[in-house]
Amino acid sequence: MRIAVQGIGVAGGFGCGADQLRRALFPGEITPQNILFEAESNNHKFPAYLCDTSRLAEFVNKRALQRVDHFSRMAVLASILALEDAGMLQEDHQNFAVVVASGYGATRTTFSFLDSVIDDGDACASPMLFSNSVHNAAAAHISILLKANGPNVTVSQFEMSVPSALLAACQWLQEKDVDGVIFGGVDEYCNVLGYSWQRFFGRDHKADMKPLEFENQSAIAGEGAAFFLLTPDNGDKPKYGFIADVQIGHVEISAPKITENSLLILGADGHKLSGIHYARYTPPENQAAIYSPLYGSIPIGPAFDLAIAALSIREGRIFAASRGAGENSGLNIVAKEQALNARSIGCLKFSCSGEFGLIKLVGE
Amino acid sequence: MKTNPAVAVTGIGCLCAAGLNLKECMDSLFSGGCTPHPPSRFSSDHPTVYPVFEIYKTPSIGGTGPQSDIMLTAKFALTAAEEALGNAKLNRKILAGKRVGVCIGTTTGSTMNNEDFYLDYRSSGRPPMDAITRFLKSNPARVIAEQYGAAGPCQTVVNACSSGTDAIGLGASWIRSGLCDVVIAGGADELCRVSYNGFISLMITDASPCRPFDVGRKGLNLGEGAAMLVLESKAFWRKRNQVPRAMLLGYGSACDAYHLIAPAPDGRGLKQAIATATARAACQKSVDNIAFINVHGTGTRDNDRVESQVLNELLTGVPFLSTKGYTGHTLGAAGAIEAAFTIACLEAGKIPASAGFETPDPELPATPVQQETSVNGTLAISQSLAFGGNNAVVIFGKGDG
Repeated sequence: MRIAVQGIGVAGGFGCGADQLRRALFPGEITPQNILFEAESNNHKFPAYLCDTSRLAEFVNKRALQRVDHFSRMAVLASILALEDAGMLQEDHQNFAVVVASGYGATRTTFSFLDSVIDDGDACASPMLFSNSVHNAAAAHISILLKANGPNVTVSQFEMSVPSALLAACQWLQEKDVDGVIFGGVDEYCNVLGYSWQRFFGRDHKADMKPLEFENQSAIAGEGAAFFLLTPDNGDKPKYGFIADVQIGHVEISAPKITENSLLILGADGHKLSGIHYARYTPPENQAAIYSPLYGSIPIGPAFDLAIAALSIREGRIFAASRGAGENSGLNIVAKEQALNARSIGCLKFSCSGEFGLIKLVGE
Repeated sequence: MKTNPAVAVTGIGCLCAAGLNLKECMDSLFSGGCTPHPPSRFSSDHPTVYPVFEIYKTPSIGGTGPQSDIMLTAKFALTAAEEALGNAKLNRKILAGKRVGVCIGTTTGSTMNNEDFYLDYRSSGRPPMDAITRFLKSNPARVIAEQYGAAGPCQTVVNACSSGTDAIGLGASWIRSGLCDVVIAGGADELCRVSYNGFISLMITDASPCRPFDVGRKGLNLGEGAAMLVLESKAFWRKRNQVPRAMLLGYGSACDAYHLIAPAPDGRGLKQAIATATARAACQKSVDNIAFINVHGTGTRDNDRVESQVLNELLTGVPFLSTKGYTGHTLGAAGAIEAAFTIACLEAGKIPASAGFETPDPELPATPVQQETSVNGTLAISQSLAFGGNNAVVIFGKGDG
């Protein structure tokens, strides 16, 4: 497998665009600003990394966005930024596919639709909210706004959504069905999610995520979108390297096959149920980094890790693991920025139940 | 565009309002089918009662084990998977250590929208978490993978009404690329008040039994169910001397990029999906060998108009039918259920009448069959259109048997 990564577009708690993500990777330069306290259910405040989509107004007129909800706006913004980054925004996208991963879909709109039924009765259910609540609404809006007529698919596999959806993107590119794939992940925060977190993980929310303290629960919810423009390998050197492999499996049946000497970007995000798998299956001889404190705990976290891996490939360096990610993990954690030295990068994600996804990125 | 190597279909499982297994469904289709009724599992304060095609017997699968407390969609998926694997003479023991993938389409099966939970959340602020726990345990692809110890890729496709067709097409690509020996691919969905109210709000639901392609059509009836196909690599089915029931020859998918809920009037996405699928199956130059088309045919004004125009243009004269009049629109399961019916009809060499179609619409250039019809040819097409402007087409050929 050799899929070229031509552009990246991101929007999340750290800001908007590859430049802001890059700046957030340097401790001391930029601290994520969007750690906000949003929900207040049952008089309890809940921290979350929220995403501001106001930059979308630079690209799409207000009228076209009138019926596009926050979930889809995040996805549209990130996909436009990915095309802009690749210098392809003004090109013809007719033979482009759109592949979107989402753990939970448009949750705010889903519950807003229920509000319309509960408040006004079954006969007054909102058709606009219903049509925007379907999981593939974001992918549809991307296709409509970017005029992408190729295949359009949305995958929802909780924390495994990104590696799973990436299989479809790679397949279409390998079989040469399309010229490019606008691929990415999107998930949003909503108050019901915040309430569910309180009930499942307790009310004692930490101020900081400590994802390397695997035995502790320290996850802070995030939202956002990370998208990529992927193309077949056309012989030129792409801006961000190549996706060389996508592994999906379950630890009860087989462990992830990790390339010797590769850098691992761990998708640990402060959930202790998945933390035990990172502790067990990350080889101590491989260097590892972790960046989830920049974007929060979010099912499509591997898309952000893939974006950071792409930046690392482009710049030929490994960014230091997020400051304050935790200590005493027993792993070989990247404490200071250093040269990548042509190593491959593996973005490794475990779910709480032991599923894993491993996306391998190479420079050459 | 290169042709695709064929992928074998070695087993099929299906349940819906027409029957609790594929044989029951096909017997029902060829004997007039069933009629929709008011929903029995939920009520609504709509002044009009919109009938649905409901499965009245809840599958017993799961028993008292860990999978007993899962959503109905997941139970439907497991039931169909069990039938399909049995039909393919496969089980967990045989599949152990093999590269087995699971690719399932759904809509309600992956949506966190439990109304009772949300009502309680709004009123008390502290509802119990059972509904959320059940939702998290009910991802249809994961449930099947756990049941059969499948260690390969696991994917739930949420492409609205084309999910089942897309899941089959994507699952087949895993076989072709060498990623899997076996893939369980299909779709599953249950009826629920949310989709019931949602479709009524869009004003595309008929208060009578649906009438796809009829001049008097007023919309769809919702339904529920699941269907699974067992897809196998040539090396795998040959090694165990299993005769394929059909070969999946082509898959095409394309987006209208036109409107969130309405198909493009010129059918651009559907044309492109058909063109891709027929090119992959190497049948783009002649329709002579295409026995029939199982169309999406929901009974809505727009869907049927677009399909009729495109079929008249690209697949002129090929007999076609809609089976929604036997099953209702089963959303994420529809493409898989219709793929199962397509293969069974190809095996039988006949298709049933397109239920609900009586009076041709002068606006439609092509109309479906009105009675049971013998068909010739070794290929058959099943197609789905969806919210978001998605179009997905699969082409099956007769199996080696």
